[in-house]
Amino acid sequence: MTKIIVNATHKGGEGKTTNSIMLAEYSALVKGLKTLIIDMDPQANLSGRYIEMEYDPAYRGGKIPAMHPDFEVGVDSGWDGRSSIANIFYGEEVIPYPTAISNLELLPAHSHKLQEAEAVTKNEVLEKVHLQLKRFLELPDVRNSYDVIIIDTPPSKGPLTIAAIKAASHIVIPAQMEQFSIEGVYGMLQLWKQESYYRTKENQINLIGILPNQVRDIKLHKQFLNGLKMMKGVSDYVMPRVIKKRAIYTEILVEDANPKSIFDLPKNNVARLEYESACEYIMEKVYHG
Amino acid sequence: MAKKKVFQISNALTEGLEETVSAAHNYTGELRVEAIPLRKMELDPENPRDLILTFEDLYNGLDKDDKNYLRKAEEKATLITLSNSIKEQGIINPVLVYKHGDKYRLIAGERRTLASILAGKSEVQAKILDTKPEELKISLLQWMENVERRDLSLWERLKNLEKILSAFAADKGMEFNRVSPTDLGRLLGCSLPHAMNFIAVLNADDKVKALIQSNKLKNLEKAALISTIKSDGIKQNAIDACIAGATLKKLKSISTQDKIQKQTTTQLPAPSTRGRQATLVNLGTTKKIHVVRLIIDSVLGHEKLTHLKKHFTDLNWADYKSINHAFKQLLKTLEQIEAE
Ligand SMILES: Nc1ncnc2c1ncn2[C@@H]1O[C@H](COP(=O)(O)OP(=O)(O)OP(=O)(O)O)[C@@H](O)[C@H]1O
Ligand SMILES: [Mg+2]
Repeated sequence: MTKIIVNATHKGGEGKTTNSIMLAEYSALVKGLKTLIIDMDPQANLSGRYIEMEYDPAYRGGKIPAMHPDFEVGVDSGWDGRSSIANIFYGEEVIPYPTAISNLELLPAHSHKLQEAEAVTKNEVLEKVHLQLKRFLELPDVRNSYDVIIIDTPPSKGPLTIAAIKAASHIVIPAQMEQFSIEGVYGMLQLWKQESYYRTKENQINLIGILPNQVRDIKLHKQFLNGLKMMKGVSDYVMPRVIKKRAIYTEILVEDANPKSIFDLPKNNVARLEYESACEYIMEKVYHG
Repeated sequence: MAKKKVFQISNALTEGLEETVSAAHNYTGELRVEAIPLRKMELDPENPRDLILTFEDLYNGLDKDDKNYLRKAEEKATLITLSNSIKEQGIINPVLVYKHGDKYRLIAGERRTLASILAGKSEVQAKILDTKPEELKISLLQWMENVERRDLSLWERLKNLEKILSAFAADKGMEFNRVSPTDLGRLLGCSLPHAMNFIAVLNADDKVKALIQSNKLKNLEKAALISTIKSDGIKQNAIDACIAGATLKKLKSISTQDKIQKQTTTQLPAPSTRGRQATLVNLGTTKKIHVVRLIIDSVLGHEKLTHLKKHFTDLNWADYKSINHAFKQLLKTLEQIEAE
């Protein structure tokens, strides 16, 4: 069964994108699993790590994926040569991009198309947006092609995030140990709760937990982390791993980063060890509960 | 010396987080939807129906000799629009059923089911319960489902909530207005402050309720704050400000005047009696049903009045209207007795 892990929280800048990247690369590079990473965020930050993103000539500031490497002019009639996950909302074909990391493929964002889906308000259409990613990921073609699918979401509780949660088998909530971040956690727990009402026992949505991110050795962070660990029921969902604030996590995210991945660093590198341990914990939960 | 700063997650947030997790655990799968064959569905013989049209009527076609033919034909005609929409896009809202042997008995969604048969469907999307649910459970399911829908107005949510509360109260044999915010929070899986807001608004006066009903007050927190303001003048100010788009913070600052005013008024000397001379006694009003009960029980305990007890045996103690009516009757009767 393909595992579908969603990184979500409606607060911005918590580490959704970073954690999606780390998990996907851990799964592909360290575990050798066939992995797909999906960018559901109109900001398209994640996509830019793996492929070239171009400015959308039609919508200023928006980004679109570069031409697909397999596209051949003249041969592929009826296809403009670009493909993004947003195509599922338009009944268009979706073709994953290869990445420089073996075993890892990408379905990039398309800013404008995703924004349109996020802005839907009419009930019947909303229903479709909510279920579309789930329907797509349930296609036998998709299931048979990948062991693990990682989804990055926008900083919102809107239709795109809900669609990701409806499609998910597992949720990870990266969060800084600060007031607004915890409120973001609350928002996500509510989406998880709502969704769990609709799932059968066999097809549960599993909350792996809250991953404390950008943690520094300061009183504020310690007290918030302890606060979470003291809460009834909630404490089971605070991961016993933390990610510290380190410049390397930002540096490694650019497309031409060297080394390519944190998991290409020497085995005893502290940053690699730290993230590897978090990913290991998450994957252990995903595969063995 | 400066106090050491302590960073803490607020109590409200802590409660919210804890309750969300516990609700997720308690209600997993409660709203799951599956496709079930229409042929396996049946009506619940114990449930009253609005329609007389049966499933068989639609499978076999109407029988001209049926003494209800005309009425059934009319009912069938009213299903056409729904049936066409189901043909095109399926059922938007799943029906609710419970397992009964190898059949599924319908709890809610009779028209949707009939229209699906009419549309020539073989399956229908349904929420399936293992056993026949109690009233309370049904309202709870409706609540959980409705919270999911964003286009519900505050008024609609309150109406839903009233149903849940009276079902819960009936279940526990308590009075409607004795359900505590803690009970409510547990019931709905929402935070305590949220539950307190709901209860404040449910107890709001008619004027505030009318504004909620006409969707002039839309926000639960704001409506709750306004409901708890005692002084009429300040309440009106807060209402006007709210309708003009004031933030919750602004409303809070208006409502603090209420507290200040309350403090000052208690220090003022009692006003001297002016105006018309009083010729009647106002027995006042109360929201607390147990107070009314105490008064009525005490009166009926009077040795000359025990025969009146029979008028109160069937009184619905959860319904303010009936209590009001009964109390007025009692007063009248008492006035007559005294005159005799
Ligand atoms: N542990 C960390 N140490 C240092 N920097 C970090 C860490 N985690 C994330 N960052 C940086 O913080 C910023 C926000 O992180 P990221 O983009 O992963 O968050 P996000 O939740 O995806 O944000 P958004 O809500 O905008 O999508 C990025 O610049 C990222 O490089
Ligand atoms: Mg991001």
